[in-house]
Amino acid sequence: MKLGSLRRLVRLNIGRDVRGAFSSTFGVTVGVAALVFFVALGLGVAAIIRDRVFPVDASLIEVVPSQLSLGLLGGGKIDQAAVDRLAALPGVTATYRKMTVRVPAVTLYDGDFFGRRLRMGLEIIAVGVDPALVKADVRIGDFTDPGEGQPIPAIAASRLLEIYNKSFAPARSLPQLSGSMLTGFIFPLEFNRSFVTASPPGPTLATQGQVVGVSDRGLLAGITVPLDVAIRLNRANKVDFETFTGVALRLAEPSGVPRVVSAVKEMGFRVDDQERRMAENAGAAVAITTAAMALLSVLICILAAFNIAHALSASVRAREREFAVMRAVGASRGDIFSLVFTEAMVLGLSGGLIGTLLAVGASFGIDLAAAKVLPEFPFKPDSFFMTPWWLLAIGVALGVGAAMAGAFLPARRASQLDPARALAGQG
Amino acid sequence: MISARGLKRTFDDGARGPLAVLDDVSLEVAAAEFVAVVGRSGSGKSTLLNVLGGLDTAFTGEVTVAGQRIDGLGDAALSVFRNRQVGFVFQSFHLVSGLSALDNVLLPSLFTRGSAPKGPAATPPRALEALEQVGLAEKAKRLPSQLSGGERQRVAIARALLHSPRVLLCDEPTGNLDAATADEVIGLFTKLNKQGLTVLAVTHETRLREAASRVLTLENGRLT
Repeated sequence: MKLGSLRRLVRLNIGRDVRGAFSSTFGVTVGVAALVFFVALGLGVAAIIRDRVFPVDASLIEVVPSQLSLGLLGGGKIDQAAVDRLAALPGVTATYRKMTVRVPAVTLYDGDFFGRRLRMGLEIIAVGVDPALVKADVRIGDFTDPGEGQPIPAIAASRLLEIYNKSFAPARSLPQLSGSMLTGFIFPLEFNRSFVTASPPGPTLATQGQVVGVSDRGLLAGITVPLDVAIRLNRANKVDFETFTGVALRLAEPSGVPRVVSAVKEMGFRVDDQERRMAENAGAAVAITTAAMALLSVLICILAAFNIAHALSASVRAREREFAVMRAVGASRGDIFSLVFTEAMVLGLSGGLIGTLLAVGASFGIDLAAAKVLPEFPFKPDSFFMTPWWLLAIGVALGVGAAMAGAFLPARRASQLDPARALAGQG
Repeated sequence: MISARGLKRTFDDGARGPLAVLDDVSLEVAAAEFVAVVGRSGSGKSTLLNVLGGLDTAFTGEVTVAGQRIDGLGDAALSVFRNRQVGFVFQSFHLVSGLSALDNVLLPSLFTRGSAPKGPAATPPRALEALEQVGLAEKAKRLPSQLSGGERQRVAIARALLHSPRVLLCDEPTGNLDAATADEVIGLFTKLNKQGLTVLAVTHETRLREAASRVLTLENGRLT
């Protein structure tokens, strides 16, 4: 049968009972809509976790000292020699040293804070890092030690800024801040002083910090400063300024992580994969939930396929004489099979398209409602959904596939019927 | 035009075993002949028609219609044969309910392989022409439910004529019509036959039998 003829017959046949046609594809529509909706939600939430809540760089490994020294076998503290050995591991392309400022520090702010009066004291944790680790996010200067008497360059964590904007600021009627607004902000710092523990002996060093950028790699609960600053402050306060609190290893390929982790452990160091594990656990929870909902959606589509098979079987029985007439005027078995099968495919395609559109519409609606109804909270996204083109294609394909699966046996039955018997009313 | 030799067709009759509906039937019908086949109900008349028209393939024997041997043809070739060489007219009209009279007449064109017998562009005018031949051109847009029984049968005849078949096979074509309408349909067959169409009609109808140029009687699966 020619394509034009097939199209005409399918249109005529579906047009005769539009309500029946759409009721038989209702299940497909619901199943496809559910699948696209839940998978888009899962992808969206996973992306938020991956990119904003736990922004883990897959090719970075955080090496920290082992709590147990292995003596001659190595391990224990990370000094420059250990850093050099780590840098020599196969697959490692760069190392970024980290050193905590090993004396307590506070900020006591009393003044104008972006148009609001702010008086606040905070305990500060500071960690020094090699500038190369955060250079992409530095907006002022080159992130090196400016020397005594100059404001210390500080990187703020983007997640800290998010928590400030969504929780801290609204609760205290403070202004919302962007990274660019915060960059350049100067605040007082006092080292060798603490609000929560007894301050250590020795003089307090009063200085200033200046935010020079906001970074995903910034310390979440503190400030990130140049490594040289941390060394200088530790040396000045006569605490350990030679060993590092950690080293970040940059690998050529994320696939090299297990091998390098194994080598690091053999050297007697630990790998701090807490963030990575949290990201993986959260991602796994989302993936499992999404998979469960997707499975449920596919089950709906399978049930829909049975429904289509049932509806088409009834339709084929009712149209046996019609098919027999078609055979009498020149239709082959293949023509009849194509006709029934194509009708189902068109209905499946319609169900798939409608279901996909419904899911996209529902996701827009929920995003709009969330923007209006839900209060601000950290990492609240503009959209909870991610709808890539392949998901839409899968939705439509699932609709067509369910219809095809349901249509096969009825179409075969229609094509195999004996026209002579059907015309005689014995079909 | 039609040649059948040694036709045998049996049906499974359950516990009673195979039932021979056609038992060594042979017949010859010349071109432009009008032949009526009569016989009791169940004598095998419709089966004979279905075999000659390529609708029933479970037979043994030789059948040649319009110069084409159809016994042993595959489904695709038989479909082409039914589409081009024969036209069927049934007692119950068998129009497709959701299609207009014109679309019903056009139905065979939807299953034409290759180019239409008279070209694709000629098909709709040819369908109207066929409706005109049966006097229904003005009702081309009507649905079967909006037509009388006689009109439906004339639409069915127009459908059978669309591809200018060589043979018209009619199964009780007047069985569901009143006397006046049956006369009209018989007149139509006579007219078509005079135009050169070979007509083979299975019937109980006396007037149709009288209109035929030859009458064959089928009894217990055999022509007498």
